[in-house]
Amino acid sequence: MKIFITGIGGISAAGRNITEHLESFQLMRRNAGTVSLFDTFLPYPVFEVKSPLINKQKNEMRTLSLAMSALKEALHDAGLQKDFSGIKTGVCLGTSVASQLNDIDFYRTYRNTGAADMAAVDRFLKGNLAEAVARSIKASGPSITVVNACSSGADAIGVALSWLRNGVCDIAIAGGADELNRVPLCGFGALGILSKFLCSPFDRDRSGLNLGEGAGILILETEEFSRLRGKKSVLRLAGYGAAADAYHLTAPRPDGSGLESALRKSLADANITPQDVCFVNAHGTATHDNDKVEGIMLEKIFGQQIKFLSTKGYTGHTLGAAGGLEAAFTATALREGWIPASAGFVQQDENIPVRPITEQTQINGSFAVSTSLAFGGNNASIVISKDQGNQPEP
Amino acid sequence: MEDQKEMELPEIRKKLKELLVENLSLEGIKPEEIKDDEILFGEGLGLDSLDAVEIVVLLQRNFGIEVKDMKEGQKIFYSIDTLANYVYENM
Amino acid sequence: MNIAGIGIISTRGRGIDSLDIALRQGWIAPSQTKSHSNDQNVFYPAYRVKKETINDITILKKIRRADKFSKMAVMAARDAVIDSGIQINHKESEVGIILATAFGPHVTTFRFLDDIIDYGDGSVSPTTFSHSVHNAAASYISSLLNIRGPTVTITQFASPIHQSLILAKAWLTEKRCKYVLIGCVDVCGNVMEYICNQKLRIANDGKIRPFNFSASPSSVPGEGSVFFMTTLENCQNKYCEIIPAYITNCDTIEKSDINIIEADGMAGDETSYQNTAPVDVFAGGYSPIFGSMKIISAFHCTVSALMLKKQIRYACPVQDNPYDLNLITKTESAEIKQICCIRKNCANKTDIIKLIR
Repeated sequence: MKIFITGIGGISAAGRNITEHLESFQLMRRNAGTVSLFDTFLPYPVFEVKSPLINKQKNEMRTLSLAMSALKEALHDAGLQKDFSGIKTGVCLGTSVASQLNDIDFYRTYRNTGAADMAAVDRFLKGNLAEAVARSIKASGPSITVVNACSSGADAIGVALSWLRNGVCDIAIAGGADELNRVPLCGFGALGILSKFLCSPFDRDRSGLNLGEGAGILILETEEFSRLRGKKSVLRLAGYGAAADAYHLTAPRPDGSGLESALRKSLADANITPQDVCFVNAHGTATHDNDKVEGIMLEKIFGQQIKFLSTKGYTGHTLGAAGGLEAAFTATALREGWIPASAGFVQQDENIPVRPITEQTQINGSFAVSTSLAFGGNNASIVISKDQGNQPEP
Repeated sequence: MEDQKEMELPEIRKKLKELLVENLSLEGIKPEEIKDDEILFGEGLGLDSLDAVEIVVLLQRNFGIEVKDMKEGQKIFYSIDTLANYVYENM
Repeated sequence: MNIAGIGIISTRGRGIDSLDIALRQGWIAPSQTKSHSNDQNVFYPAYRVKKETINDITILKKIRRADKFSKMAVMAARDAVIDSGIQINHKESEVGIILATAFGPHVTTFRFLDDIIDYGDGSVSPTTFSHSVHNAAASYISSLLNIRGPTVTITQFASPIHQSLILAKAWLTEKRCKYVLIGCVDVCGNVMEYICNQKLRIANDGKIRPFNFSASPSSVPGEGSVFFMTTLENCQNKYCEIIPAYITNCDTIEKSDINIIEADGMAGDETSYQNTAPVDVFAGGYSPIFGSMKIISAFHCTVSALMLKKQIRYACPVQDNPYDLNLITKTESAEIKQICCIRKNCANKTDIIKLIR
């Protein structure tokens, strides 16, 4: 069964919509700066979304606000209204921050006095990402918030693919969203994987990741549903594969076999060979371990000539949003016929047998892959294709 | 100077062993069972990369010492002996 | 989809046999913990998992850093695999994991916030942070059991088990994996108990009354973990078939031998449960055994699976019955073909899970 991508939406520090992202990619604009969303003395640069339309935690979670922004764009792109009553619609979104009740002010007050105002709790209880989005568009099908750390967005898209293929829903909203938050900033800092400089994925001198925030959402439809409503699209979600490392809570399996398994499964799921893939949007966080394992595996599977890049140099690592945003970028790149330079890369690492592309590059293939690796040992790979598209009934 | 070092090192080692057992959840191991020259990571005590970053925080909280470069950490974290020496030199 | 094996950790112990004993024993009062309030005389009742229940040294040695959330998850998952008698082929990714939770490891999250408050942003514990994320438990499960298939942790307030079953069925049908370990975990903690106290009506006598159908029902927070080893294949230790469904109108519920009313005081107004228990169908409700949880359906499915396998109807632990339902009042052998678990979730939908012999 063919599953079409009929709408794409994305928001991050690199742009408030997909068009702005393309501009940032062309100009190699890297909108990082110091943290402005909360007080911290940590010196790490971050990629914040600067938009007056995005909430700062007053009535709803910022993550939800980011998700709604990307959703609005994706729905517009798909030619859909914000009311899905009567349509079998699934919502599957990945996140990390929005899943936790981690409001420091609430907790500090509770700790000090044994009581606290429930506003933060109410925001949290209303903020389960998939449930909140489903409510807002009156979606009546399945809804799942995936919390697979950094592969959440990609896995959410994979879940939606399974739903659509199995007739659980006819249309799905899938992707991920995450806000920049003090808790992961402190946590990633303590893990020693945040860079004090602008991140440089796959570079010899990479020194860690920069956190970012954003949302990336795809509208996915079965072939029949999109045909019936007369929506044409050349983009398809062709395959998904996932595999666990079964190794360690925070370190990737050094032999990369989990990633290899996820990649091979996604290619088999799309019924293609590695040679069919014209580029890979890599996870490329710019941490020492991730880029090494991923680079070695890209070479092993696709060969040394594979064109690949990490877009994290433009967006930062947006955690639960990353898989959604990068799927959105991968689909857009196939549609546009070019991929941007992998920002931040200068020198090849002698331990990584491949190097990302360093300038804007034309592509003219039909299949592209987006990879995601996560703490906890989740590996996910998505295959997106560009084809002749579905033909609506005259 | 050397005398003072000889006096303080055993105390530092003892403190470090207690900190590791308590904070790294080393189930079933008593601080005194860790040998001074036992390799802490891998084959030895079995610590891993997550323990390494936890030790960085322990040094910071308990001795006010910053380990800025994790590459240098590999040498420092080799054993209780090397760790204690580093603490003594940097306190 | 068949349930091939079950692992359960609850306030009443570990393993499916502990559940059988608990159901025969009936209701036991919850423990009371002193609240962290200025009033030293405030106690909250809760059905907590006892320390000795998860004090399995062999497993704990391999997961030395794990918090209670992960420990409960790992032990129930392992027990489910062992209970199924299925030998996992570790080379292939034939087993997938779906772990559902409503609130995740919040006790550890708050411990991490303690770190930030007490030591500042630059001196927090990376170990605590890495355990404060929802998918730590699934990571431990895959490492300990060497499971290399797809692994998804999901967080839902409405229908966590229901959503997991739908996804598992899809994975099995697509042949993404041959088996799926489906589990639910939630944990109690000081802060969450305080929140429950603010948001819900807590039963002062510790009794959840599932059949009162009250507009403002009473609850008692609970914690625990359940895992099902599921497969489309037939298997030696099969409990039953399990099928999730949504319905919009309770009159359309297919007739079963037993309807399990999942009211536990956790999802607000329970008056609409009234039409879920026709007189010619036995009604059961076991939340008073486990405590109130968003993941209570997983526990009710476990009770149902056990009833189907053993062909025993277990007496309801709390039998207050103002609406004169056809309650199961004593534990006895019976011919049971189908059980229907009914839950009104917090999104005003009715989740139905059918379990068939």
